[in-house]
Amino acid sequence: MRRFLQRHMSQIALSPSLALIAIFLYGFIAYTAAVSTTNSKAFPRFDNFVGLEQYWRLLHTPRWHVAFTNMFLFGGLFLLVTISLGLVIAILIDQRIRAESFFRSIVMYPMAMSFVVTGIIWQWLLNPTLGIEVMVHQLGFTSFRLDWLTNPDTVIWALVVAAFWQGCGLVMALFLAGLRGIDEDIWKAAAIDGIPAWRVYVFIVIPMLAPVFLTVVVLLALSIVRSFDLVVALTNGGPGVSSDLPSVFMFDMAFRRTNLGLSAASAVVMLGTVLAILIPYLYAETRERA
Amino acid sequence: MIDIRVSNCNKSYGSLRVLKDINLEIERGEFIVLLGPSGCGKSTLLHIVAGLDRLSSGEIEIGGRDVTDVEPKDRDIAMVFQSYALYPTMSVRSNMEFGLRMRGKPMSEIRPLVEEKARMLHIDHLLDRRPSQLSGGQRQRVAIGRALVRDPKVFLFDEPLSNLDAKLRASMRTEIKKLHQSLGTTAIYVTHDQLEAMTLATRMVVMKAGEIQQIGKPEEVYHRPVNLFVADFLGNPGMNFMKGHLRLDGGRVSADVGAATLPLDGYAFEVAPVAGQAVVIGLRPESIQPASVQMSDGGAPYALTLKPILTEHTGSDNLVVLAMGEQEIVGKFPSDMLPKLGEPVAIGFDLSRVSVFDAESERRI
Repeated sequence: MRRFLQRHMSQIALSPSLALIAIFLYGFIAYTAAVSTTNSKAFPRFDNFVGLEQYWRLLHTPRWHVAFTNMFLFGGLFLLVTISLGLVIAILIDQRIRAESFFRSIVMYPMAMSFVVTGIIWQWLLNPTLGIEVMVHQLGFTSFRLDWLTNPDTVIWALVVAAFWQGCGLVMALFLAGLRGIDEDIWKAAAIDGIPAWRVYVFIVIPMLAPVFLTVVVLLALSIVRSFDLVVALTNGGPGVSSDLPSVFMFDMAFRRTNLGLSAASAVVMLGTVLAILIPYLYAETRERA
Repeated sequence: MIDIRVSNCNKSYGSLRVLKDINLEIERGEFIVLLGPSGCGKSTLLHIVAGLDRLSSGEIEIGGRDVTDVEPKDRDIAMVFQSYALYPTMSVRSNMEFGLRMRGKPMSEIRPLVEEKARMLHIDHLLDRRPSQLSGGQRQRVAIGRALVRDPKVFLFDEPLSNLDAKLRASMRTEIKKLHQSLGTTAIYVTHDQLEAMTLATRMVVMKAGEIQQIGKPEEVYHRPVNLFVADFLGNPGMNFMKGHLRLDGGRVSADVGAATLPLDGYAFEVAPVAGQAVVIGLRPESIQPASVQMSDGGAPYALTLKPILTEHTGSDNLVVLAMGEQEIVGKFPSDMLPKLGEPVAIGFDLSRVSVFDAESERRI
């Protein structure tokens, strides 16, 4: 008995948490997948199997198309803006500037806020009757217009700006850590070789940051798929459904339109999207370690 | 002809003075080794010559030109780093080419040059690999190759062998020496390894706390250290130090070290000795041998009978710790002579190799 305990202590110690994960994570993923094959309305019911019909309906729901396209549009813009500006800010802070920790804190602070707060702040800032537009008008530029929130074509930019404002700190911190990890001798060697700083960045330093890029892209990509609170607080999917994201769609279907089956199907599609991003990353990671 | 001249060079970081009034003149073709414990300012001095650090005051001249405010790239220097500092995202070939390309040299000239230097360093088969695919020794060869293709006026080495294992270090050391002999380019080499310093240097500069202690040929610095610090820093095992005071009997000078009175007749005093002056007598372990062993100058040794209290085999010799009154000294015996512990043996002191330091100023007298 003692020998058995000694040999299997680690398994015994881990088993409760494994059981919890198995039930509440994988169990409910399976449950959701099961619900998506039923015709459930307000409550999950398993007596009405409809196969893949919910997925078929999802494919023919224009609002889902808007949400799904928005995810890639918002995601692409958000990735591009956050990575490029985050990198630029990290490079600027890396120039051994004075009061570095002050600037670092400024960039990092929005990260401490929840997306709901971010959403509300930017809702006020971008509100044509309260925020930046009014301020600029008071400065005398009365022709200035900032109607991102009310224009269905530009509302996605409002999301990008707010998400960037919040996400930039993390990206900057990761890139800054990467930049600080680069051997100073490389810079010295480049100085003696007479390579201008921008060329060192473009040809040597930024390629050396490839692992950081991978981490940043995966982290941001996951936050894109998950982003829900920001949209709810900032635009609530509007105007109309023009700034809808899959997560908002899913929430709406499940809790407002009492269409659990369709909602579950959208959740499964979202999971598939996440896995499509995550699996190649995990594969690359584990191959590197091996 | 003076190739590098460092005049009254000072460097401070805030209130910390890293270099204190350094003056150094280096002839063309010399291989100068800067040696000292960590934090002595040797790397800072090298960086200042390279232009990677600005000096607080003073002047640097390279090849007769004042380069104090000149950018590193315009100083006609090349540098090899401890961490190799290869560009990891480029192939070995690109690493070697990049500096020349930045200088606008045409590729038709760069290609053959890079290939020639690569052959010289036996890395021509590695040209298309990435630095991460190379061993430490190969990486350091590439780093040296990158410096070579530039054909600079001065080579700077910043502890280039410290990251290599002992055996590789020894062989790279020989290669650097060969390279210098065939190229004849002026070189400054920073190290904390005294073996590297002794073997590579045409002249070595021993530094401590931002100040130059001694400049001289390796054998000169080894046998005639100017102060206790240099005497103690060089040599492994370290020099024996015996505390005592001077005696003057007529014209003859001797040192009373408690257990014995060592005659200093042959010693060339730089400062006139004073009777009763407190001194430290320094003698290297290889100058303390069994009395039967022939001395370096062929003369008869000064013999004493001492008791061995500990022996250590190093393979090539036996280190013997001897009790000398209150003090302990270490002698280097031939490997076939192993004295019995506790049994007194006749020990010969080669006093032609002795160094005498003033106990208070710690300077050689």
